[in-house]
Amino acid sequence: MEKVMKKLSDSVLDKISMDFLRNQVLKNAYGNDDTRIARLDPRLLLVWYVFFGLVPWFTQDLVFLTGCFLLVAVTTVMAKVAGLVLFLFGVGVFSQTGYLFVVSLLFGGNTQTVLPLLVLTLKVATVSLASVTVFSGLDPDRLSNGLLWFGCPERLSFSISYAYRMLPMLMEEFQNVLLSFRLRGYAPQSSTVGGKVRYLIYQIKMIMQAFYPLMLNTAKRSRTTVEALEIKGYRYGAMNKEVRKMKLSALKITEKDLLFLAGSIIWIGLFVLLAEIL
Amino acid sequence: MTKKQTMNQSQKLMVFVLTMSLYGLATLFTELIPKFQVGIVEFSVEYFLFIPLVLAMLFDPMSAALGAATGELVFSEIMLGQFGGLGELEKFITVTIGVYLAGRMVRNPRNRKMTGIAAMTGTSVQLILGMIVDILKVQFAVQDFEAVPGLPQSVFVTEGFACLNDILFSGILFCMLPALFLVPKLYGKIEPLLGISPRTEKTALEGINGKVIVCSVAAFAAAVGAEMLAESGLPLIDWEAAWAESRGALAAGMITAALIIAVLFLVIKKRAGINKSVENV
Repeated sequence: MEKVMKKLSDSVLDKISMDFLRNQVLKNAYGNDDTRIARLDPRLLLVWYVFFGLVPWFTQDLVFLTGCFLLVAVTTVMAKVAGLVLFLFGVGVFSQTGYLFVVSLLFGGNTQTVLPLLVLTLKVATVSLASVTVFSGLDPDRLSNGLLWFGCPERLSFSISYAYRMLPMLMEEFQNVLLSFRLRGYAPQSSTVGGKVRYLIYQIKMIMQAFYPLMLNTAKRSRTTVEALEIKGYRYGAMNKEVRKMKLSALKITEKDLLFLAGSIIWIGLFVLLAEIL
Repeated sequence: MTKKQTMNQSQKLMVFVLTMSLYGLATLFTELIPKFQVGIVEFSVEYFLFIPLVLAMLFDPMSAALGAATGELVFSEIMLGQFGGLGELEKFITVTIGVYLAGRMVRNPRNRKMTGIAAMTGTSVQLILGMIVDILKVQFAVQDFEAVPGLPQSVFVTEGFACLNDILFSGILFCMLPALFLVPKLYGKIEPLLGISPRTEKTALEGINGKVIVCSVAAFAAAVGAEMLAESGLPLIDWEAAWAESRGALAAGMITAALIIAVLFLVIKKRAGINKSVENV
């Protein structure tokens, strides 16, 4: 029995290791370039997001909300979003409405309390899945171009592109620093309760200290990055409207985009009709 | 010569990139550690605020502050698909204010006492501003809580307690101590890497003056406004929905959305037209 428990906890710990996180984030950023969602026009998807981020709050109709939810669920599947993001989504939805259900059960809730909670859950889930589809499903460069087109600051779109490229490297570096600390250090025994506390303090101290070399390394790297950007005339280009237009001229609305839009509108229209009938 | 610690634009960009990537990485971890939300009280971990605080004390405070806020937005919200819209503005502004104030306070990074005080002040400002926003939300009853008697009082108590707990616990353990450890260690070592001379008493920017405070208060007011707008959307519409039939509200929602889309498409078309005319020229 003890062996089984140990195996179980090991496998859970494996799941939340640094490598797992890095793979998930990488997969989320670059693993799904070939999906249908990633190829859509970012401007259109952002407008689509505005619709599904706002409209569910405006209505109480269960049929219509179910329709919206089904649609964004399908698009999330189409976008091949990483498991970690979906897990976070689940935790988020539960923390917003799930606990309310549990509490209402404690106070003698019945099926009548389930209905308004279901409506609320559907709303929250629809809005979050829409944001997961757009922000995780889209290729980061296309997303930042789309945001730039709608007049977001150049800094933000630069940060998005940069963050997706640098994050895997940063994570690897952080892990390497932590590992070298572990190699050189001597971890306290963690068998007793006092030892466990000491072990926790040791871990936290190690993470804090790991930021010292990390800061120096990242400083070097950010200087290289900015100098490379300067050579290419980044700061001048960011201010220049002509350059912006050239950068955004790659965005084109194609038949696929219109097809996606039409599909969404027909689906929603269908459910509006259904809501009228029922 | 008593020149101020000036940085050219590309060095400011370096500081921005540095803070953004480091703090973004750290907030990504905290985002993955589950948050506990009990009712309206949220127990979140603000463990890694020491990173932007340290960098703001050593470099240009404004770049570091903006970098930290952007890093949090991009890495932990947009990348994980948890973008919450207008409500994110509140966090963005409070982090910027806290980090910026702390950075302005330290004139000589070798002065350990001042470093500690500034780290605590930055954290406290950020946490207290966050608490004020949370309390105001209940105060203006934008959230639907009047059904429960005695709730406002309990909100004051729980919010105040959570804030105090955060300041004492994460403020001292995770912001002040790491800052005290890192600032003297990094001082004089990290600046040359960016081609900047270290900050001294003579070259530092002036301490906090009236202008800084006025700007901070104005920014905070904007944050509160945005948060109110984001929160009030729900009940306002609920109220309308109760007044109209649910079908009418549905139609209204559809029409509003259709109008938004129509307007956006008009803008798209117009811009496309401009692009074409530029190409023709």
